[in-house]
Formats: sequence, C-alpha cells, structure tokens
Amino acid sequence: MILLESHNVIISDVLSDRFQKASRADIQFVDFDSVRFHISTPESKTVVVLSMSIQCWPDLLKYGARQHLEQQYAGYILPEASTEFEYNVSLAIDLERLPATEEERAELVSHLSLLKRNALAAPFLGAFEEQKQLQANYKDAAGAQQMDLQPTESKGELKVINYRDGEAIFVRASHDRVTVIFSTEFKDETDRIYGRVFLQEFVDARKLQSLQSAPQVTYSNREPPLEIRQIPGLKRSEDVGYVTFILSPRHFANPTQALQTISRIQLFRDYLHYHIKCSKAYMHSRMRFRVAEFLKVLNRAKPENAAPAERKTISGRTFRSR
Amino acid sequence: MSNTLRPYLNAVRATLTAALTLENFSSQVVERHNKPEVEAKTTPEVLLNPLIVSRNESERVLIEPSINSIRISISIKQADEIEKILCHKFTRFMMMRAEGFVILRRTPLPGYDISFLITNFHSETMLKHKLVDFIIQFMEDVDKEISEMKLSLNARARIVAESYLATFT
Repeated sequence: MILLESHNVIISDVLSDRFQKASRADIQFVDFDSVRFHISTPESKTVVVLSMSIQCWPDLLKYGARQHLEQQYAGYILPEASTEFEYNVSLAIDLERLPATEEERAELVSHLSLLKRNALAAPFLGAFEEQKQLQANYKDAAGAQQMDLQPTESKGELKVINYRDGEAIFVRASHDRVTVIFSTEFKDETDRIYGRVFLQEFVDARKLQSLQSAPQVTYSNREPPLEIRQIPGLKRSEDVGYVTFILSPRHFANPTQALQTISRIQLFRDYLHYHIKCSKAYMHSRMRFRVAEFLKVLNRAKPENAAPAERKTISGRTFRSR
Repeated sequence: MSNTLRPYLNAVRATLTAALTLENFSSQVVERHNKPEVEAKTTPEVLLNPLIVSRNESERVLIEPSINSIRISISIKQADEIEKILCHKFTRFMMMRAEGFVILRRTPLPGYDISFLITNFHSETMLKHKLVDFIIQFMEDVDKEISEMKLSLNARARIVAESYLATFT
C-alpha cells in the first residue's frame, strides 16, 4: 500500500454494517492529525450519530467549513446547538429513512466516510474560488491596456490551518495559481534526515517527463518560504521543514479534479511521515538479519566438538575428569 | 573490491594474527583478580604498543594489544549525514546485542564507531584464525550494508514521490 486512502475505513465498515441490521453502537476511534470520531446510538437503535472532533475547527469555521458541511450533508447534519459534547460536528443518520437502492446506500456510506476530507476541503475550495475571481479581475486589468498602471499582482487572503500542534497548512490564492505550504516538524533526528531525503526526491521527481503535469514542489528547512515569512510565531529550527506545492488552475479545473487534488494534498504530511516510519521499520528488519548473519560467522569460530563422546572401560565403568 | 580495500584488510589481518598471542595473566595489583589488562591498565609493563592501520582519514582500525587481551576499535566510513545516522543505528543495534557477540565491547572507544575486546579466555575457547576472519568479514560487510541501506532509502523515496505526484493529473 503506497498511497493512503482519504476516507475512514472504520466509518464505512460500521455504517455499512448498521445499514444492513440496526444495532447498538458506541465506538470511539481516531484518524490522522488527531481527529476523533464517535459513532453512537444515544436514543434508539435506529438513529446513528456520527460525531467528529478536529483540532483545527476554529480555523476551519473561519473559512466556511460549517456551511460547506451543511451543504454536503444536508438532512443529516445536526444543528450546532445539538452537536455532541466535546465534538465539533455531529451527523444523525436515521436508519429507517435510508435511500431505497443498494447503490444509493453505498454512495451515502462512502460520502459519510469522507467527513474529515470534506471538513478540511472548505478552505481549499475557498482558495480555488478566490483564484478564479482574481484571474478574471487580472484579465480585465490587462485587457484595458493601462500602460501607466501596471497590474499589481493581486493576492488572496492567506488561510492558515493549524492542523496539528506546531504544524500548519497555509493556503493562498493568486491570479494564476494556488500556493499550499505545509510546515512539518520532525521530532526525531533520524526522521529529520530521512525526511530530507524524501523531500529532495519530491523536488527531483517533478523533473521527470511523465510527471510534468504534477504541481511544482519546493522545500526548505529552517527558513520559511517568502510567502509566509511575515507571519509571527513561525519556528525556525533545524527540525522544521516547509514544503510548498504550487497548484495551477489545471489541478482544479472541474469539481471532481478539485476534490481529488484536495484529498491528495491533505494527506501529504501523513503520507510523508508514514513512509519515513516504513523506511525505519525496513532498516530495522534489515539490521536484524545482518546481525544474525554476523553472529553465525562468529559462532563458526567456536570449535564444534566441545563435549567429547563419553568413553567407557571394558567393564562398563565411565571415566570422569575432576 | 577496490584496490585500496584489499591491502587495507590484509594489513589488518596480519596485524591481528600477530597480536592474538594471548596468555592467562592474573592481576599483579589485586590478589585473585584476572582482568583484561588493556582495559584495567594497572600494570604498564604488560601493555604493548597500540597500532593504527588506516585506509584514509575516516576509515581506520586501532589495535591495542596487551598480555592477556586485545582491543580492536574500528572507525567506519561516513560520507554524509545519512551514512552517519545509518552507521550509528547499525552499531548501536549490534552493541545492544553484545551478549550474543561475546567479543563485542558495549561502548566504542571515543573517536571510533565500534570496539571489540578479545581476552585470553575467548582465544582459548575459539579458533584464533576464525576470530580474525570474523573481524575482517565484519569490516567488509558493514560498509556494504550501509551503502545498500542508503541506496534502498533513496530508491524508496523516489518511488514514494513519484507515485504521489503521479496521482495529480
């Protein structure tokens, strides 16, 4: 499994099970980036409540995540007042009023399991919209041929999503692109070095002919990129890395493509760290094997006939050395 | 094998074979003690001259003989940050299993990556030429292993990056 999935497997498993047969549930589980889920049946077996708590909810609210989710999960989402305690958003699914056909139900399950993706999608979708507007305005200005007034590069609002402690995503739209910057922290010295190797490969892989359509990637560690340098409180230590993705309008030309791009880009940090951990595990198993080999070589140095065969006299007595 | 590695290993092999002439020697300072003299360093007259066999500034072997023990410290080639961390991990991994490797020292000498300590008891129970073989094979394989690990890390990083970027159309 090289790529990570953007939906939550537990949600889809539990819900498709409950859609077959209603039963009680009280399940708490987690997803990437300290997202917590809770599936419960508080009142009756037939009403399943799915709640999500996400660390960056205050940020997401600013960028219209609530409205986006209300639009996505119309008819399921509970009003803010009745959202479950300690969670940020709750959905209630009445099992007696499910869509009729199997396909529609499967569709609903997969839609619900993308809850986290959809919550985080709001700022990205906002930035894509902003880019379209800026592009339109930019063209107007250029079309007017105002020689004395050079069209200054217009930039959208810088959106900051603090999705983990000390790590954030920065999204900014401008007239011809959307820039997404990740800040990521490597807690371990080994992770930092492995991370640098991986990120360097991301930059290099873009040079391949077959990957020319991929977004441009740059990374810097220690120094934040120019776009976000003015933000106060950015960390500038050796173990912080900044990865910049430059999405061109091609990447979000139509809604499906935009959603696909969002799913991918959201999971970038998890993807990177997941593979760093995988490499470490692989190195470990390799070392284990190699050390066992060395041990075999060393054991060859021990003479084999350590215990000589027992000798007896003709009358049946044994020798014993003392 | 490159042309400088062969003479380097040959020199280490010859030196080790010559130095592995160990005999039982009880402490002259404390009664009923029998300690590896190269570690205890209580009797200066039984310590022999230490010797460094060096291939280049980063790869060298320090051999410290004494009457009843010999200490071999190896410094492994580390060209960059990745090799440094891999080498550190590998030697640490081995030294945590020092009970299995009877002749392995739990900490390396300062300035070296890994140390072995062979006492007269080891050389009595084990075949001397096989012990030398082990040290030589270790030196050969550890370089190979570290460069292979580095290559596999790079290959993995490349595949990971390519498959991620290939999902953007």
